[in-house]
Amino acid sequence: MMNELYTKYMGLDLRSPLIAGSCNLTDNVANLKEIEKAGAGAVVLKSVFEEEIYLEYASELKKLGPMEDNLEFLDYYDVEIRQDNLKRYLDLIASAKAALHIPVIASINCVTSQEWSFFARKIEAAGADALELNLFILPSDLRQSSSDNENTYFEIIRRVTSQVTIPVSVKISPYFSNLGRMISDISASGIKGMVLFNRFYSPDIDIDQEIVKSAPKLSSPGDYRLPLRWIGMMASRVECDLAASTGIHDWETAVKLMLAGAKTVQLVSLLYKEGFKAISNFNTRIATWMETKQYASIDDFRGKLAMGPQVNPAEYERVQFMKTFSEYTR
Amino acid sequence: MSIDPETIKKERSAGWREALRAKTKNKDRIAIERVHMPELEPEIRVHHQDREVNRGLTLAQASLEASRCMDCVNPTCIEGCPVSINIPKFVKYIENGDILNAASTLKETNALPAVCGRVCPQEKQCESRCFYVEKLHKPSVAIGHLERFAADFERDSGNCNIPETLPPNGIKVATVGSGPAALSFAGDMVKYGYDVTVFEALHEIGGVLKYGIPEFRLPNAIVDFEIENLRKMGIKFVTNFIVGRTASFDDLKEEGFQGFFIGSGAGLPRFMEIPGENYNGILSSNEYLTRVNLMGANSDESDTPVLRGKNVAVIGGGNTAMDSVRTALRLGAEKATIIYRRSEVEMPARVEEVKHAKEEGVEFMTLCNPVEYFADKNGRVNRMRVVRMGLGEPDASGRRRPIVLEGSEFDLHVDLVIVAVGVSPNPLVPASLPGLKVSRWGTLIVDEDKMQTSLPEMFAGGDIVRGGATVILAMGDGRRAAEHMHAFLETERRGDEGTK
Repeated sequence: MMNELYTKYMGLDLRSPLIAGSCNLTDNVANLKEIEKAGAGAVVLKSVFEEEIYLEYASELKKLGPMEDNLEFLDYYDVEIRQDNLKRYLDLIASAKAALHIPVIASINCVTSQEWSFFARKIEAAGADALELNLFILPSDLRQSSSDNENTYFEIIRRVTSQVTIPVSVKISPYFSNLGRMISDISASGIKGMVLFNRFYSPDIDIDQEIVKSAPKLSSPGDYRLPLRWIGMMASRVECDLAASTGIHDWETAVKLMLAGAKTVQLVSLLYKEGFKAISNFNTRIATWMETKQYASIDDFRGKLAMGPQVNPAEYERVQFMKTFSEYTR
Repeated sequence: MSIDPETIKKERSAGWREALRAKTKNKDRIAIERVHMPELEPEIRVHHQDREVNRGLTLAQASLEASRCMDCVNPTCIEGCPVSINIPKFVKYIENGDILNAASTLKETNALPAVCGRVCPQEKQCESRCFYVEKLHKPSVAIGHLERFAADFERDSGNCNIPETLPPNGIKVATVGSGPAALSFAGDMVKYGYDVTVFEALHEIGGVLKYGIPEFRLPNAIVDFEIENLRKMGIKFVTNFIVGRTASFDDLKEEGFQGFFIGSGAGLPRFMEIPGENYNGILSSNEYLTRVNLMGANSDESDTPVLRGKNVAVIGGGNTAMDSVRTALRLGAEKATIIYRRSEVEMPARVEEVKHAKEEGVEFMTLCNPVEYFADKNGRVNRMRVVRMGLGEPDASGRRRPIVLEGSEFDLHVDLVIVAVGVSPNPLVPASLPGLKVSRWGTLIVDEDKMQTSLPEMFAGGDIVRGGATVILAMGDGRRAAEHMHAFLETERRGDEGTK
């Protein structure tokens, strides 16, 4: 008998809509096994970051001493470090696949397009069930126009999807001048899933030391409202599955996002705060809620509160805005 | 290992040196232009793998060049030499017409002077520290050319000085490998009186000197002559012997070997792991050069001829890339191109090699990097896709970081590609000695002063420690290892005697 929490995401059978999202906790098999034991439907492995590889290259160079002595050896050293990192990642995928029964989704962070498409093939060969492209293209490069930035997304997707047969999802930011159109167009580009949204580094300022520092890295409970809005608006307008990410700190939020139309929700900050047992707690609470509501499956209520395809989102938004603020009259 | 300043001072004040300095005023020395090394014409040499490009200085040229040296009170050139050759002394011997003593001076610290005179990047070492460069901003004294001259003169004279060795002490030591690090180590250890055996896996002694460096840069006959001198000093050579397979280290210890120098090199090729790199016609530079230099696979009579191409691309910018691309020309390539992702200024290759390559017709496509290869229906490479690169901010190495220019790809027709992007250490020895500390990259971790590994009786140097280095740096490692292994074994011996 099929489990009531069963869902299908990107064509993958998941026993739960709760996915352990890509983070430092998903970079070793011991943790992945615990995550599976806690009841997650799938895991997304820690993302391979091009910038992290570069930092490792810088760190390794310091250990080696003067460059001049070894110039010929060090000339393509960054390539070797990159290859070593990628090999370790492929080993992680293979080990994870050998140890787990739930789907294993690999993740790569893409800054440049051509270097990663070949690696995508190797990820597939290592056994990954799917590939999540974390499209981390900061909208702050003043040399690029908006359309240049957007074109890079499609170019990356095109190159990667042409190389693999496993399902590909993309994780994007909300920073587009027409996010709705971008979500719609990306969904039609051949991908099977889209994760809304990734989190950029946020700066903060220490006014005592008068320095710029990093803001807290974990999400806040209220952060879910952004993906909630866009999933609700776009769930009936896209050609791929939608997954929610950021701000999911309680089981009710997970249910809200699924009511809005999310196929799955990704948990990261919660796992740091409460440990993997939070997955098990959420599964239990969601199942209990479903029983109360007499829902036999996730499909029975998923998307129930999504904005219908006949509604123009722009007009809907304006109407809602007017209605909400009219309630604030004195 | 550096020369004692008091020794330098004492030797400088020798009568003949003072007389030589007095003979010519410094301003007249400075007025002499640096000698130009005679070279075989490019249109001739490009058809011959075994004809040396540099023809060597004549006695007159060497003498005149040597007279440019001002015999500095504080010879900073010595500090630039990884094996601390007494440069002013040998140069002044040449000026004085005493070439054999010049050669003997070289051999006090350098087991392979004819080799170093040909392959050292002097412009980055001794010559970069020359007074002319540092203070006058003029071309340095041609120390490398003079070193080669003295070594060649001695060889041709038939009066080779064999350095003296101390009486045998009965202690056996071994090297694993016979490249420059191991030969340099062996040369010093035999002088200390040790019974030295050099074990080599291949059928030829010399390591990278034979399999890596083509004959148009370093004739095998030169290498063989240097090795023969080492043999005359009492060093034993055993070929076709893989330490760790033919015999284990324990086996050798049972035979009485008490110290080991690991100089097994870095012969594992590296590739770029890009699509299509597995197609036929794409070789590592290791394979390409070994086949030609060591196996004679460029010969028409070879049973296993090396692949030839009309349109050859070599990926990389170091000396190995230059050797590969120039070999390809000599093997009949109509077009031979270097593809390098940074600019020419950043190329690691010796300036002279790049100059020679250009003279011979090698084309240079800098700021380009391959991203994919394509093949014909037989699986032989016939096209490569290349992307243009820009140079960003300096990376951690201080050199500008190569950055892909998205969308700038273009295709080139090729039928042979040589990948010369670096090498990795030979994994056999670390695999044979589980107690040996090894870095993430497979290099042996050593005390950098003593070159001693985590196993006290094992010392190491050269590419197996550095990952990849020049001949002279490897030799410097060998010398340091010899000095400290000698100290270690002396301590062990005294300890044993104390307990008897």
